[in-house]
Amino acid sequence: MVGDKIMTPPIQDVKKKHEARLMSLPGVVSVGIGRDPQGNPAVIVGLDSPRSETQARIPPQLDGYPLLIQIVGPLKAQ
Amino acid sequence: MEKELFNLKGVLQENRNQLLARTNVVATGIGFKASVGKKTPILSIICSVVQKLPSSKLSPREMIPSTIGGLPTDVVQTGRLRAFQSHTARYRPAPGGISIGHKDITAGTLGCLVKKGGEFFILSNNHVLANSNAAQVGDPILQPGPYDGGLIANDHIANLEAFVPISFTGGASGCSTARGVADFLNSVARVLGSDTRLRAITTQAEDNLVDAAIARPLNPADVKDEILEIGPLSGVGSGTLGMAIKKSGRTTGLTTGEIQQVDVTSTVQYGDNKTALFTDQLMAGAMSQGGDSGSAVLDTQNRLIGLLFAGSENSTIINRIEHVFSALGVSR
Repeated sequence: MVGDKIMTPPIQDVKKKHEARLMSLPGVVSVGIGRDPQGNPAVIVGLDSPRSETQARIPPQLDGYPLLIQIVGPLKAQ
Repeated sequence: MEKELFNLKGVLQENRNQLLARTNVVATGIGFKASVGKKTPILSIICSVVQKLPSSKLSPREMIPSTIGGLPTDVVQTGRLRAFQSHTARYRPAPGGISIGHKDITAGTLGCLVKKGGEFFILSNNHVLANSNAAQVGDPILQPGPYDGGLIANDHIANLEAFVPISFTGGASGCSTARGVADFLNSVARVLGSDTRLRAITTQAEDNLVDAAIARPLNPADVKDEILEIGPLSGVGSGTLGMAIKKSGRTTGLTTGEIQQVDVTSTVQYGDNKTALFTDQLMAGAMSQGGDSGSAVLDTQNRLIGLLFAGSENSTIINRIEHVFSALGVSR
């Protein structure tokens, strides 16, 4: 749908809008902008470990953009 | 195979010296022959060369025969071989990519040199040079870092010049004690009219952009404006999604990766149950381990694009160099 494309806000705005909520979910350590396996811009949520409850609360899409989950592990100062 | 290997070893021993005498040959060994880029099950004498050249460009004396003592040979291009360079040793002058640390920490990485007021300073992380806010400006910085045997008596290379305080969110206090102490000391310094001791401390909002600090070399001749295993920087760049990057660090040496995420917000754990929230970070795959913190991150053209400071088993978190430069008031 052409109209859909025009309506879609920039991914940076979408990420910003949902970031605080996503970061507050148990085990979420990061939210960033990357690409899905097809190369499309995607919002990527990083988890410290597999967490079924948190994962169930993360939808597959966010305002028209793919929302992916990655197990990045705890991020530590090195 | 055992017998074949034994035979090969004998033939190699007999011919090694005359093979290594060729100017292009840097190593000889035994291995499976490759044909059209694919490994074959044929054992052969392998000659590693600086550059593979067509036979038309080689004099008969430089040419490697296709068989030696009835055994096949293979030629592979390895380039010039250099001795493994230690990243934890003491270096004077000290380049980027090697062990460094505040006297009270373990060890991190000396990133690279940056300029402020026409002088060169050592760039690394706050948690490497300023002990995660706990240090005092002027504290001794050791190269190598204490964990790698650095001692104040012998290895004092620089003094902490300035750091960007990290705003911590976790822990019992809920806010950073160290920051409170720094503020208190700053107010004392103001009262005492001592404008030098803590003046260089700048502040950043609750969301951190950088984990960065600079140190002033005791002697400018003790530091070198290049990076071990990489060489000189060619300028400054900006990290973008998909960009190929590299770093040279104390623990894992020279590694490469790719920027997989930008505009990253992440929580990072520091010791003692402390956590800090960082925004506008770059994320790459696995390319670092503990001790690599402070590494300068470069693009393929050796432009400085970031400062490595955190990571996990499969991810690396990098400050944008733009934020590092503006927070510290430094440049290249």
